Amino acid sequence: MQRVIERILNLLAFLLTVQRPVGADEIRNTVAGYDRESDVAFHRTFERDKALLRSLGIPIEREATDAFEVEFGYVVDDEEYALADPGLTDEESVALSLAVQAVGFGGRSFAEGALMKLGGAASSAGGTQLGADLGERADDVAAAFEAISERRILRFGYRGTRRRVRPYGLVHRRGHWYLVAEEGDGDVIKVFRLDRASSLEGEDPKNAFVHPEGFAPADWVAKEPWEAGEESTIATVAFDREVAWIAEREMGQRAAITPAPDGSIVAEIEVASPSAFVGWILGFEDRAEILSPESIRDRLVSLVEAR
Amino acid sequence: MTNSAKTEGRIHRLLAMLPWVIANPGAHVDEVCRRFGYTRPGLVKDLNTVFVCGLPGYGPGDLMDASIDDDEVTVEMADYFSRPLRLTARETLGILASAKAVQSSDLASSSLDGAVAKLERTLVPDAGDAVVIDLPEPPMVGRMRASAEAGTVMRIDHTAIASGVRKVRDVEPWSVFTTLGNWYVSGYCREAGAERVFRIDRIRTAEPTGERFTPADATARTSIRYTPGDDDVSATIRLDGTARWVAEYYPVEVVSEGAENMTIRMSASDATVIARLLIRLGKGGTLVEGDEVAAATERVRGRILERYSRRARSD
Repeated sequence: MQRVIERILNLLAFLLTVQRPVGADEIRNTVAGYDRESDVAFHRTFERDKALLRSLGIPIEREATDAFEVEFGYVVDDEEYALADPGLTDEESVALSLAVQAVGFGGRSFAEGALMKLGGAASSAGGTQLGADLGERADDVAAAFEAISERRILRFGYRGTRRRVRPYGLVHRRGHWYLVAEEGDGDVIKVFRLDRASSLEGEDPKNAFVHPEGFAPADWVAKEPWEAGEESTIATVAFDREVAWIAEREMGQRAAITPAPDGSIVAEIEVASPSAFVGWILGFEDRAEILSPESIRDRLVSLVEAR
Repeated sequence: MTNSAKTEGRIHRLLAMLPWVIANPGAHVDEVCRRFGYTRPGLVKDLNTVFVCGLPGYGPGDLMDASIDDDEVTVEMADYFSRPLRLTARETLGILASAKAVQSSDLASSSLDGAVAKLERTLVPDAGDAVVIDLPEPPMVGRMRASAEAGTVMRIDHTAIASGVRKVRDVEPWSVFTTLGNWYVSGYCREAGAERVFRIDRIRTAEPTGERFTPADATARTSIRYTPGDDDVSATIRLDGTARWVAEYYPVEVVSEGAENMTIRMSASDATVIARLLIRLGKGGTLVEGDEVAAATERVRGRILERYSRRARSD
């Protein structure tokens, strides 16, 4: 491993100083660590080294070394290599370090590498653990984010269909990642659950679209499942005393609550997806009752009668 | 970890450490170790590697200079490594999502807000608002978190999701965490005499009992996985097209899968959980096997219909 690390440092030092595309042969003859290899071994080693540097985010591009595009070489794109210094204060670095410790994806953090590039963990003092896990699908979320930030068209499979969208935003809500994107020629915004998407792939080229000014992806993702729908109506529900507090917490500020002397409540709440709403109410069994509208009440009753 | 992953990790660390040390000449060895997660021998090893690398020619004037003198770390002749590396998209997402998750909690701070604003401005100038993390905290989260830190025993009024059973219990909270959209507290339950995990949104009230315990330094639990127990009930259910989401949403075993429908097997600590699901599915789900679940489904069905028939009778 020692030899590999020395060779890669030498390679990168060379590429960063020559500032012109250099061919593989020149690298082989110039950079310490490559000289004793056979042709096959050299190319295998060189490919591996390039792949490793690229996975760290180092932009190694292949470019023509002459005007006639006969010979090709490798060059590090100077613009793309360096981090634009965000100018974090010590306090801000500490706050970020603590955040990175507190949050994981499927039990792992993948922000530690980012933190190191930003100057390392400014504090190792264990702070309060938030203990937030943002799910198992880190690779898919990262692929979607890459397409968003590089403004690439995103392609993916979704419940048996193939999609091509302009990705605008990611929202983590109720334990799921949602992709908010525009599909087709018109301006149709759609929301996709990322755990139902597969084979996400950003298309070439970059900068294929412009992000709409002031776009707020969170506005497109319903806070509660029963808010996801086209048209909404107001439903009135009675909750018994034992469960009233649970219902109130889950509905939050979005319901108008009328308490009764016996501790039960009547709530008026906006419903856009009756089926999701009925599913939620059924969780209360016989301790909740939809009073109106009749259509949603009947929907619940016919579901309970079905067998 | 594979060899290549180790190599990648070492180079990542080196290329992060070098710009910082070059920008902060004479930094104390302990600070360098702390920032970049080095042990002292590990740092010495990497600096020795730097010392033998450099530019073609590879003579004394071409190699980098790296040393620790009086515990001060210095790297020279390495201007080409003086700029920190750009973050990959994955790293950018990781740090932004982590920061925004904390921002949406009651651990948010103005320093963190400042950091997020700067990161968005410099790392993703085009799409700064593109990532939104929403982790609303139910009322008792802060209180449970504080008691886990301080080691205060809490008396909680908790209603179990599955059975609907309400119980007052004394617990020693170990850690508070969120996963799959819900908040949990894990800890020792004195009532059960064992470790338990409680959903915090189902804790109605929590008050200190006045007793204290020594907080466990076991690694904080941040995940929850349903593990079937001996007392669990299970059922086999046939799902048609409208109910297939069940197989994605719950941990189930797929028994068979056809074009029109699929058959799954699932278990739960309480038959009522599966019963409620079956009722919710309506004609989309059919119970194939599971006597306890069948009985529970009839009970729940009967209770709900009884309630809904009252108004019809009184009309």
